[in-house]
Amino acid sequence: MNTYDWIDSVLICLYRITGNALLDYYLGTFLLAFIAVVVGELTISLVFRINKDHLDRLNAKVEKMSRLSQNALCQGDKESYKACNKEGNEAFGRLFFNKFGFAAASLWPIFLALAWMQERFNQIGLPLPWVKWEINYFVFFMLCYIAARISFGRLKRKLPYFRAVHELLLTYEQKSLRSEAMTNEKGASAPPAKPPP
Amino acid sequence: MGKFEWLKKGALIFLVLLLALAFTSILTVIAQQKQTVEQAKEEPKLVGSNLGLPGKLGEAISKAPAGKGRGQIDLDAPKGAFGIPGGPDFNYLLAIVWAVWVGWIFSTVGAFGGIMAGVGHMTVFGLGDYARSFRDTAPALNKTLTDSVRTSNQFLVGLSSLISTINYLKQKRLAWPLGIALAIGSIAGAVFIPMLTGGRISFRQYQGWFGLFVFVVGAFLFYELTPKGAAKKKAAKAAAQAFEKSVKEKADLTAQGVTLKKFGITKSTFTFFGSDFDFNPIWAFVGGVVIAAISSFLGVGGGFLYVPYLTSLVGAPMFVVAGTSAMAVLLSMLTSIASYITVAKAGMDWGLIGVELIGIFIGSMIGPRTQKYIPDKWLKIIFIVLALYVGIRYFSAGFFGKSWVP
Repeated sequence: MNTYDWIDSVLICLYRITGNALLDYYLGTFLLAFIAVVVGELTISLVFRINKDHLDRLNAKVEKMSRLSQNALCQGDKESYKACNKEGNEAFGRLFFNKFGFAAASLWPIFLALAWMQERFNQIGLPLPWVKWEINYFVFFMLCYIAARISFGRLKRKLPYFRAVHELLLTYEQKSLRSEAMTNEKGASAPPAKPPP
Repeated sequence: MGKFEWLKKGALIFLVLLLALAFTSILTVIAQQKQTVEQAKEEPKLVGSNLGLPGKLGEAISKAPAGKGRGQIDLDAPKGAFGIPGGPDFNYLLAIVWAVWVGWIFSTVGAFGGIMAGVGHMTVFGLGDYARSFRDTAPALNKTLTDSVRTSNQFLVGLSSLISTINYLKQKRLAWPLGIALAIGSIAGAVFIPMLTGGRISFRQYQGWFGLFVFVVGAFLFYELTPKGAAKKKAAKAAAQAFEKSVKEKADLTAQGVTLKKFGITKSTFTFFGSDFDFNPIWAFVGGVVIAAISSFLGVGGGFLYVPYLTSLVGAPMFVVAGTSAMAVLLSMLTSIASYITVAKAGMDWGLIGVELIGIFIGSMIGPRTQKYIPDKWLKIIFIVLALYVGIRYFSAGFFGKSWVP
């Protein structure tokens, strides 16, 4: 038995729970999607922990340049505004591509699940009520994935490892939003400035 | 001591470059070993059925010649890429290793990673050679496989914008009037190109245009290293640093966020921190169409084209440009992928994408750790050399039928 056959024998058990073919397809696909969500969360948390310092540095540079360009705007200093904007855009470009690691870490299980479903359920179409359309394995899996993501989002605050990761991510997001709010608060209380020439 | 430091860094850079080129060559040879078969001597019969494969892929397979020669479907062979009997048998370990390289590039330089992902699909994994083999025997299959390669490239590039867009939406950093005009244009371009070119572009044509694009990217990177290009960057950096020193944190800042002041079809205005930014929604729409069309056709390019376009069109602050461009990339790539799959009916090998994503997230963890050992300038030199090599090879193979480099 090779690796694929072993994985296949494990995953197909998800589709043999109730004994009713249609129910098993719904339930099995949802469970498969749920497993994809959990595994993705595990790997994204790993990438986050390992790359956090590097991303903090990139974020700090982006935010600093953003604040400086806003300052320059309000002081009417066109040249400084352009210079800070250019530096900021370059820093943003690096951050943008670095975040790809997060997306990859979160989403890779989806594609392996789809690869397996393509082998097993490629010919199956679920008929939709009142219309003559059918949805294939891809569409149905994506719908289940969205549902699984929402469900797991509520559950993870109660699960030991994921609770810690959730709190870490929450602190990280609040720190980013706080630095944004500080910039905006200063803006709200200051007198109006001249626009750049 | 300083002189030896320079020599050490130079040696390290040279070694990385040599390894990268050797790596590409070795992986290409390994992936293509199974492709070498004898030419059939007699007129082969057609496959005659879609072999259970969906859409245009199945249709193209049914019209392809059956046999064991090059450009034929070997019905007795085990299933390879896209479920085609005798198709390239992906070495998933190879795919992960190449994807680690791509992830490493994404986390160090950034944009060039998409190009390397494309090189992987076209050359390293043998898909390009396999598609090319059907040029004369089954042109429809050649074109359908080209669409699959294009769509595979886009998954990797499109996913890069997903996390960024979600974050910027949460932080409310999108200039909605500009974003909507750009997004509508992006969606239009991303629908138009698959409809117009899906199933019509041969692998050679695609490879030629891809090579030309890689040249342009290489030229852009090269310009940044020239005295003029470097001087501009240095001046911007010096000006930003000088301003940072002079500014006080309690500087005059006015009302927060982005506010739409006036909307018109040819001129709209939004304010940001007390300053007005005018833009022409029609130009934003046209820019979205053109950039999305380029990135949909090639499978790369959206990520680094939107930002300079928005900056030059509007002179918009980066507070706004960052989120707006991320959203435009996400929308155009998702639309393009959906169009290729539903309209052009390109076949997908999900397993390959999944395995590549594993490699990419591993590479993205390694990149930050190696970055301190290789200066930015030398990274750019490495990628300029790679861009020249890939650009010449693909351009010549695509448009002239034969590669000018090994």
